[in-house]
Amino acid sequence: MLKCKINGKEVEVPEGTSIIEAFKLSGQDIAHYCWHPGLSVAGVCRLCMVEIEGQPKLQIACNTQVQDGMVINNNSETVKDVVRWGLDFHLINHPLDCPICDQAGECGLQDQYMQFGKYTPEMAERKVKKRKVVDLGPTVVLDTERCILCSRCVRFTDEVSKTHELGIFNRGDRSEIGTFKDRPLDNKYSLNTVDICPVGALTSKDFRFRQRVWYLKTAESVCPGCSTGCNVNVYYNEEGLWRVRPRYNAEVNGHWMCDEGRDTYKFVNRKARLLEARVGHKDSWQSEAPGSAAKQAGVKLKEVLESEGPESVALVLTGQYTTEEYEAAIGLFQSELNSTLIYHWVNNPESFEDFDGLLLRGDKNPNTKGLLQALEQAGIDRPWQDLLDRLKAGSIKTLVVAGPENQSVFPDQLEKLEMFKEVENLIWLTAGPVEGLEHRAKPTWQIPLKTYIEKAGSFVNHQGLKQSFQVGTIVVSSALTLAEAVTLLAGQELELSAQDQILQQNRKKNFFTETRGAL
Amino acid sequence: MSGFQLSAEGVEFVKSELKRYETRLSAVIPCLYRVQKENQGWVSPESVSYLSQLMDIPEAHINEVLSFYTMFNREPVGRHHVQVCCNISCAMNGARELTEKICKELDVKEGEVSKDGKVTVTRVECLGSCGTAPMMQINDRYYENLTSDSALKIIRELK
Repeated sequence: MLKCKINGKEVEVPEGTSIIEAFKLSGQDIAHYCWHPGLSVAGVCRLCMVEIEGQPKLQIACNTQVQDGMVINNNSETVKDVVRWGLDFHLINHPLDCPICDQAGECGLQDQYMQFGKYTPEMAERKVKKRKVVDLGPTVVLDTERCILCSRCVRFTDEVSKTHELGIFNRGDRSEIGTFKDRPLDNKYSLNTVDICPVGALTSKDFRFRQRVWYLKTAESVCPGCSTGCNVNVYYNEEGLWRVRPRYNAEVNGHWMCDEGRDTYKFVNRKARLLEARVGHKDSWQSEAPGSAAKQAGVKLKEVLESEGPESVALVLTGQYTTEEYEAAIGLFQSELNSTLIYHWVNNPESFEDFDGLLLRGDKNPNTKGLLQALEQAGIDRPWQDLLDRLKAGSIKTLVVAGPENQSVFPDQLEKLEMFKEVENLIWLTAGPVEGLEHRAKPTWQIPLKTYIEKAGSFVNHQGLKQSFQVGTIVVSSALTLAEAVTLLAGQELELSAQDQILQQNRKKNFFTETRGAL
Repeated sequence: MSGFQLSAEGVEFVKSELKRYETRLSAVIPCLYRVQKENQGWVSPESVSYLSQLMDIPEAHINEVLSFYTMFNREPVGRHHVQVCCNISCAMNGARELTEKICKELDVKEGEVSKDGKVTVTRVECLGSCGTAPMMQINDRYYENLTSDSALKIIRELK
């Protein structure tokens, strides 16, 4: 370990640590654009200047390693003046269109300008005009005027995605990032370049101009897109979710996530959701409240059980729910309904084991491992074929299916619906409306479930790492969790969780409006 | 990928350059020169793709080098590429007026190829021959201590 002093504070860091990392370790601010902890050092933005005692000139903190006994500061007037000028040079050709820029509110230039702005610009020359709104492929839009040439995105395509599309072309103040022959930036990780862009040069086609970031709240969660289980931040407001971005976790995803995972907010929003339970069959459908529909279905279940015996009820689970829900559902099924006919629906057996070498896995379920563990704990190991045989024999009268939350990764859903066609009663628990279910001729219950962001629980990823998450926001408040739905199906009453109770008490006391104060 | 290909010697050259430096990227400039020489004086996007495959270096990286340096032409040029230095010493000795005269003589606009495809005239920055200003470079040769008469004579003698 090396000892050094940063702005008067003693810090101990391992050998090989750069000064900028030492600043981060000691929790002190340092201005920087080009340095990113997940990429190589470029040393091009010249903003992380520090003064080192005994060295006549300032050094860049990102490319200088800490040596034992170093005394470093970045709060002297010399350093501040250099950073101020450095920032002013960055702004020479940067357009002053913050009000119409999508990065506003989370822009590195804006943030640093608050502290290091010159406020009276000293550049008399006209700004160099460059290409704006360049269509850079299916996910990204490029504005070359706003780019400060930090080269983070170029290093990302070289070092992380290894697709090498981006480069810095031309020279001097005409330099701009781009792709060779304006080919599209089309790789499975392209939106990470948008995340790491410190300015508004690279923006996401999916997100730009849809929300101002200061109106969005953030919740920590785990991506349900595949079995990697990338840690994410979800950005939401009262209308629903707007985007998903990666959150650093060295063990799972580092700083990155794939573009596919960023779409996992779409099936959460009201537009894509089943808002009420649908009960009936193809000639008559009725809307019901989710809770009472589940209760009703529970009564039907009991009837069937009493007349046909426990072998007449089966449960199909997908790998899309939390471990806690699996344990509750499997437990209740065994204890209350005396049935051990529980099956695992594998959505894409051919590509289940695929892995692209970075993050993307072929198993498009967040919690297959958790489901298998829960089934093993309960001592249940039934092959899919067993279900098919029983369906064929007609011994299963009522089938409960905990269908996929993210239906886009279940291409076999219609095929499965076809298999379940002949079952007398079908209880389908799902977050979104299920295509094809409305044509079913026999009694059917579609009961809306909550999605991953609306419940607390944990996913076990492909490594066997159990990752817990909390409720982020509620989009469809009447929807049930899988555990709640199965509780009602089993004929039991729901208990309010401690959290819900507090919420309800506060509502009674009108707590939220009282503390808001006068507007 | 149709179109441009280096000659057998050219390919040999690229291979030996790749071994010559510590990093493969260092070989890009000499190889681009070679391509320019074998491609009528300019480097086309197709030839960048060809070189990228030959050198196993991403196209974007070759294009970074290509677009940085002015000595590589990214547009077709005439058989004779006349580059008149207009940096300080040459400019003070009348290089800018000289460029205009040459253009008029050849009936061609600066930076454009003449109609017969014979010449391109471009203004360039310092060619490192300030002691003999004004000067120009035609393809690989320097012509120094120019006067308008001597320059026009050289131009007229171009084939």
